[in-house]
Amino acid sequence: MLKILIPTLMLFPTTWLATPKWLWTTTTAQALIIATASLTLLNWSSETGWTSTNPYLGTDPLSTPLLVLTCWLLPLMILASQNHISPEPVSRQRTYITLLVSLQLFLIMAFGATEIILFYIMFETTLIPTLIIITRWGNQTERLNAGTYFLFYTLAGSLPLLVALLILQKEMGSLSMLIIQYMQPAPLCTWADKIWWAACLIAFLVKMPLYGVHLWLPKAHVEAPVAGSMVLAAVLLKLGGYGMMRMIIMLEPASKNLAYPFIILALWGIIMTGSICLRQTDLKSLIAYSSVSHMGLVVAGILIQTPWGFTGAIILMIAHGLASSALFCLANTNYERLHSRTLLLARGMQAILPLMAAWWFIANLANLALPPLPNLMGELIIITSMFNWSSWTIILTGTGTLITASYSLYMYLMTQRGPVTTLITAIEPSHTREHLLMALHLIPIIMLTLKPELMWGWCF
Amino acid sequence: MAARLVRIFPACSRVQLGSMPGARFLSQTPSPGAAGSPAGCVLSPADRNDSHGHVEVSCPFFSPQNRDFHGFHKEPQVDVWNMKVAFFFGISVALVIGGTFVHYLPDHGMRQWARQEAERLIKEREAKGITVLDCNYYDPSKIILPPAGDEE
Repeated sequence: MLKILIPTLMLFPTTWLATPKWLWTTTTAQALIIATASLTLLNWSSETGWTSTNPYLGTDPLSTPLLVLTCWLLPLMILASQNHISPEPVSRQRTYITLLVSLQLFLIMAFGATEIILFYIMFETTLIPTLIIITRWGNQTERLNAGTYFLFYTLAGSLPLLVALLILQKEMGSLSMLIIQYMQPAPLCTWADKIWWAACLIAFLVKMPLYGVHLWLPKAHVEAPVAGSMVLAAVLLKLGGYGMMRMIIMLEPASKNLAYPFIILALWGIIMTGSICLRQTDLKSLIAYSSVSHMGLVVAGILIQTPWGFTGAIILMIAHGLASSALFCLANTNYERLHSRTLLLARGMQAILPLMAAWWFIANLANLALPPLPNLMGELIIITSMFNWSSWTIILTGTGTLITASYSLYMYLMTQRGPVTTLITAIEPSHTREHLLMALHLIPIIMLTLKPELMWGWCF
Repeated sequence: MAARLVRIFPACSRVQLGSMPGARFLSQTPSPGAAGSPAGCVLSPADRNDSHGHVEVSCPFFSPQNRDFHGFHKEPQVDVWNMKVAFFFGISVALVIGGTFVHYLPDHGMRQWARQEAERLIKEREAKGITVLDCNYYDPSKIILPPAGDEE
């Protein structure tokens, strides 16, 4: 872990001491080196779960793919932000990169934490840089509202979690994930126990987000600048999934009955948010609702607590992280040229920017879970395990898959096909930077198709 | 078609959004304030009322002097170096070398080992004639339980 943490910490001096001319070059290079170093975490040559040299920071097959995703995303965020931040004064550029790096640092510590309290503290700490990125660098006045929704939804969910964790510490004596996986789960009989069960999970359900508490997500994703949208969609949502998978191990056996309403909400949310996507006029809002839809499937997969459900959840989290981040980058390429996210405004872009249309195509295919990409792998594994749990879920998940394909195609056709909008008189050609960004998003998804066991987790 | 022709020119122009009546494509803010304008498309007030009837724009990055703008930096030399560094570390190091490293990692989670071991044990047990799989891990006859009366 230290070989990842120390270079990430040293990104702070790099950001503040590099000459303005070479600021972005050096930070990109260092971030990519950190990302390459993080690949060494994927080594899991034993059957045992955790790999750690100390009791506080360790990795296991659940946190490792998410850690690598986090480390991979920082250079991509820096690449994506380079163009729209460059007109600003240098100290503001340095501040922006510092926020991205600090977010990275907290996320690495969150995913590497072996103690649940450390995970909780890092979970909360990631809110601060994200809030600053959204409210300071967002482009519209609605960013303030978005920041408020984002902060208070997540905080309201996580304060009960703090109480629940303190109760757990008092009952069990330890909150180390290494230990609690072996503890006997306490029988949850009283109403207070049931509320404790809910308190353990609500924070993560809000973060995922579950359908009923998802309102912060479209606002935050839309108002955030591109790096904020990328990190929100790719990693911060997965913090919720990761936390749920850690907590739910010790919440048995009450979860069998108590999880019902949440599973149903999640499944219904897939269909509802998918249908909302079909009616969206704002491109980023469409991608944001698509994230809610995919995460609904992940929530359902985690809550049924079967090995395949967990495996499918991890695969879908990783694959969706990369695909969704790619879509936000594409939406940003439109936004930087047209200063608008309206779908109708940027039609027929394939005629104008054909290479970018190729990336749009692949990213949308990944979003609609085209085989053999891992998006399909994850969705199919979750759908199968849900079918095993209850045969009726196939109606909801099947309809959800259909609607996902519909809105992904709708997004592609609306932006790329059709008549070119006559309002657009000239569009700046695609930059090499944008092509590199898309390649660095989509090539890992394709490579993961070839070695998916990296994402299968410890259950498979 | 016009869009395609204009694209050949390195100049770029801001989209004429004001001509659409009643459309609210842009945000509520009158101008992109806090974030600053993106690189490349700046419409300065002095250029708005040009003498030959159309608006001229100043694009500091994409220009006839800088046709090879890669999107990284306005100075061409820094731009090219940034592009080279990003491609080298991103593709050559991270994807290629990193991908090779990941490909040659030992058996992930000992899954292949488990499969081979299971096949080996099945073959061995079938050859010996004993049951391949039994629900008891230990031999029940060897387990010594305390007598039932000693329970406190």
